[in-house]
Amino acid sequence: MLPKVLSKDRFADFVARLLGGGRVFAPVAKGPQFAFAEIAGPDEVSRIRMDYDISILPPKKLFMPQRETLLTFKDKGPEGVRAEVKSQPTAILGVHPYDLHAIATLDAAFSKGARDAYYLAKRGATTLIGLNVKAPANENQFAADMNAIDPPAGGYDLFLTDLGDRYYVEISTGAGEALADDDMFTPAGAGDHKGKRAYDAAKAAHFTRKLPYDTRYLPELLDVSYDSLIWEAAARRCFSCGTCTNVCPTCYCFDVLDKLSMDAHSGTRERIWDSCQLEGFAVVAGGENFREERPSRLRHRMFRKGKYIFERTGRTGCVGCGRCITHCVAKISILEAFQQIADQVGA
Amino acid sequence: MAKPRVAFHDFTSCEGCQLQVLNCEDEILGILAAVDIVNFREAIDEKSEDYDIAFIEGAITRDSDIPRLQEIRQRAKILVALGACACTGGLNVLKNFRGIEASMKTVYGEAAGWYETSAARPIDAVVKDDAKVHGCPIPTEEFLELVKSVLAGRTPQIPDYPVCVECKLRENVCLYHKGQYCMGVVARAGCKAWCPSYGGRCYACRGLISDPNNKAAKEILDEKGLTIQNVLDEFRLFNGVYDVAKE
Ligand code: SF4
Ligand code: SF4
Ligand code: SF4
Ligand code: SF4
Ligand code: SF4
Repeated sequence: MLPKVLSKDRFADFVARLLGGGRVFAPVAKGPQFAFAEIAGPDEVSRIRMDYDISILPPKKLFMPQRETLLTFKDKGPEGVRAEVKSQPTAILGVHPYDLHAIATLDAAFSKGARDAYYLAKRGATTLIGLNVKAPANENQFAADMNAIDPPAGGYDLFLTDLGDRYYVEISTGAGEALADDDMFTPAGAGDHKGKRAYDAAKAAHFTRKLPYDTRYLPELLDVSYDSLIWEAAARRCFSCGTCTNVCPTCYCFDVLDKLSMDAHSGTRERIWDSCQLEGFAVVAGGENFREERPSRLRHRMFRKGKYIFERTGRTGCVGCGRCITHCVAKISILEAFQQIADQVGA
Repeated sequence: MAKPRVAFHDFTSCEGCQLQVLNCEDEILGILAAVDIVNFREAIDEKSEDYDIAFIEGAITRDSDIPRLQEIRQRAKILVALGACACTGGLNVLKNFRGIEASMKTVYGEAAGWYETSAARPIDAVVKDDAKVHGCPIPTEEFLELVKSVLAGRTPQIPDYPVCVECKLRENVCLYHKGQYCMGVVARAGCKAWCPSYGGRCYACRGLISDPNNKAAKEILDEKGLTIQNVLDEFRLFNGVYDVAKE
């Protein structure tokens, strides 16, 4: 499908068109930072910040809400159990390439083995409108190293690149094609293609590589660093607060809890985000905790990001968005850890 | 099966936690259907010394409190500490650091000598408690979770992780990103990050988690420019019973 162009004069019309199809979420200011929030109607278009640097929580919160009801139960036995698989048509506007990569990783994780009906229902009802980004949000980002500064093939419906007075619109799915089938979109011409190329060239120059090695060596470098002292050093300041995993776009661990009503035999089963960094995460029946020490929990997170998720899904477990570093009160850095392991071979 | 009989008792407190119980509006009828409340000074006149479950609000601040609490412990099958005052001594413990005599003078002036007092202590410094509902005041949801769990005979789901978890789930901008500081990194969650969600910092009114990284907390507070005294004051406000507040 050939790219099109959307004039910024028509941006409000475009949002109205999205609103016609269901809910719309887009980046808006939250104090000095940004968050994806619902745009309730055309009069809220001015809240949308297409110039946002990065959101606090990634868009995963829309497919895997922080707290979600899985089923309700009544009395004993299966007759009273009702599953609550819910979804509604939703467009997410302004998803940066690293977050599109993360969504592709989640898609793979939740479709493997026992397919997760709750995630997939919401994901299936979602239209993704990606947004190109020219420079890293801050010094914590290393998306270029993780090959996540360009969108994944097929990982979006539309993908917008800001060319000043207009957006260059790439189309990757039938849903995207249908959305762009309107006179607000015009075919891209030579000047538009050139503009897009110049944008991407500038982007590549801004997103410098920060790891001394190619990331294909990351899983093996982690392997040889398993007993390194760097984990202990990094964990010294760790609060086991789970912020790093909650803000991570590829973390998907959850806990399942039953909430009882006062009558003590009806209630709801809920899942909430969980974190491998919390002290109670690896406690199994009987009270045994197989990851009791902070360093081993921290190492586990870094191994999941750099190795395990990739081995499990074939997709990257870390997209280099830097959120876990930015939001860690103790300033513990996965980037620094990935840099340090380069020197661990034979150490 | 007879409905369990429930009593509320208060020691040194502001009675704000009992008010929180009355604030459980939507569920109060459900509670009344499931239990008999036989002693609740905030809400009913009736008084009985025959009960199964005792909720204790307030800290122990006088030696004469001790036999009263021991008697409640003997009567109750299940004893629950309600609120910061009861769980950690709460704000009351501040007077232990200021000096008890000096505190008495500030509060009662010349009449200080007429009143009996001792160092403030949590309930479990005197008798064993079976459960704790933390917070100043307690969150209503946690009180309800506890009541339901006791009635169903299961362990209540009380968080043992930092307030930061709930703070991030609400997508708050961290106070450390606003040039401020916050005790949420070591405080026990369960309040849905009440204070940071409304612009304030966390004072750890729900006590500390079981494995707080106090050393790291002191380090980052120091990096924020707090003096050693400021840092100790942060811990002492609600958590004076812990060793970390003493050094
Ligand atoms: S955000 Fe930082 S302090 Fe919190 S668990 Fe993660 S690494 Fe530890
Ligand atoms: S591990 Fe950190 S840098 Fe990597 S994707 Fe997660 S939040 Fe982003
Ligand atoms: S914990 Fe706070 S609200 Fe509850 S009784 Fe004590 S001072 Fe009052
Ligand atoms: S504001 Fe406080 S509770 Fe929230 S993340 Fe920051 S330190 Fe944690
Ligand atoms: S945020 Fe902190 S001070 Fe506020 S209610 Fe929760 S634990 Fe207490």
